Amino acid sequence: MIIEHIDAQLPGAVTDRHAFRGDQTIVVAKENLLALVDLLYREGFQLLVDITAVDWPERPNAEGGAAAGRFDVVYHWLNLASQERLRVKVPVADGGTVPSLTGHFKTADWFEREVFDLFGIRFDGHPNMKRLLTWDDFPGHALRKDFPLDGGDPFCMEGCTAPYNNGERARG
Amino acid sequence: MAEMNINDAVVTTRLDAVVNWGRKNSLWPLPFGTACCAIEFMSMMASKYDMSRFGAEAMRFSPRQSDMMLVLGTVTNKMAPILRTIYAQMAEPKWVISVGVCASSGGMYRTYATLQGVDRVIPVDVYVPGCPPRPESMIYGVMKLQEKIEKESLSMRKEHIARFYESLARQEALQAEKGLTGQQTIRNMLMDAAERGAGTIF
Amino acid sequence: MAHPASPFLPILILLLVAAVTAIAILVLSGKVLPLLKPNNPQEAKLRPYECGVPPLQEGARHKYSVKFYLTAMLFILFDVEAAFLLPWAVNFKHALWTFAAMLSFMATLLVGFIYAWGKGAFEWER
Repeated sequence: MIIEHIDAQLPGAVTDRHAFRGDQTIVVAKENLLALVDLLYREGFQLLVDITAVDWPERPNAEGGAAAGRFDVVYHWLNLASQERLRVKVPVADGGTVPSLTGHFKTADWFEREVFDLFGIRFDGHPNMKRLLTWDDFPGHALRKDFPLDGGDPFCMEGCTAPYNNGERARG
Repeated sequence: MAEMNINDAVVTTRLDAVVNWGRKNSLWPLPFGTACCAIEFMSMMASKYDMSRFGAEAMRFSPRQSDMMLVLGTVTNKMAPILRTIYAQMAEPKWVISVGVCASSGGMYRTYATLQGVDRVIPVDVYVPGCPPRPESMIYGVMKLQEKIEKESLSMRKEHIARFYESLARQEALQAEKGLTGQQTIRNMLMDAAERGAGTIF
Repeated sequence: MAHPASPFLPILILLLVAAVTAIAILVLSGKVLPLLKPNNPQEAKLRPYECGVPPLQEGARHKYSVKFYLTAMLFILFDVEAAFLLPWAVNFKHALWTFAAMLSFMATLLVGFIYAWGKGAFEWER
């Protein structure tokens, strides 16, 4: 239902859609995100459940286009009245930014900080764009696919991936 | 540990036997509980598995009033300096049992955030594997510690504790000198230790 | 044959037992126990315990409200008055002079009580 509303009021915004066993997912470009969020809020999708991201390193990292960009920022909304859920994916390039939803949703504040901490995606207009889970000068972004899976354990004896911070010591 | 090598001639006298008997039968635990193993610890202290039979009923959450620290659960890199401080504040004689695989080796969490085994930062006497270990396993671990205590001697010097305090002093000096947090300092010390081939930072 | 000082014999025994206990404790803890216990004085062991983190606030140097001091002082005064009242009550022998003497003592303190009441010393909330 909501997807029909979106198509009616924001024609061409939805670049891709799929549904699976009751889930509904749409892909929009980041230019349409704020307009979409306004529409969703008016339609009753007022609970922002989560913001997260996925790293697709094999995708060509270019701005624009249908499946552009290395990352997908994923938003989940819940309509409390109709119990309908919607997932919105926004492709972003490495180094690109996404408009922040902190103006509309207070929970977006920490969700976006977490995405920044773990993926490195910045959000325009965020009041406090700092890392949340790791410390301020943590080297790298932990959930990217090129971050070592074991965190660069210095005592690693076999199956070692890249060393932590390339073996550099933290400086004050 | 070489300095506590029981196979070397550590001669225990009657006095040692009496003192060790007193110590091993009144081990007051300090539960350093961070995760699920702490729940199993609670179950061990409850009536069905009953740790009190071994004299360990008086669990104290203060390092001043306890002998045996049970590290129960995952210790993250951020928690490591706190663990070291609490171990440092315990009065001797003191022992550490690392309960569960997260405390012994990092467990299933082979990540950037988890300390891969508390024995990298504090000296450990007994390791109890399990995820979580059953209460009977934990009791077995305490019994093994009791057997270890039986073989100690009053004239024996505990090298690992002395080296721990030296490493704590080094850590604090580095922290003050460079203005780093405890976590960053310990990570640096871990990298230094790995480079020189040691297994721990003390 | 009873020794003339025999009622005081238990006191002598108490004195001896106390002396022996005190000396034994001193000797044991000063000379014997250090041989049995591990001796590793470390500066880290003396620091205040605050769940492993460095202390967030400077000790117990908070500002206390003066009303605690006031309550304690008033308590002492009237408690001492009551303490004086009790032996007087035990030895009271229905004479006007003794009664008047105690009444004048209490009147002095009553004046102070009324003053404190008027000044609001008994109101906790202010």
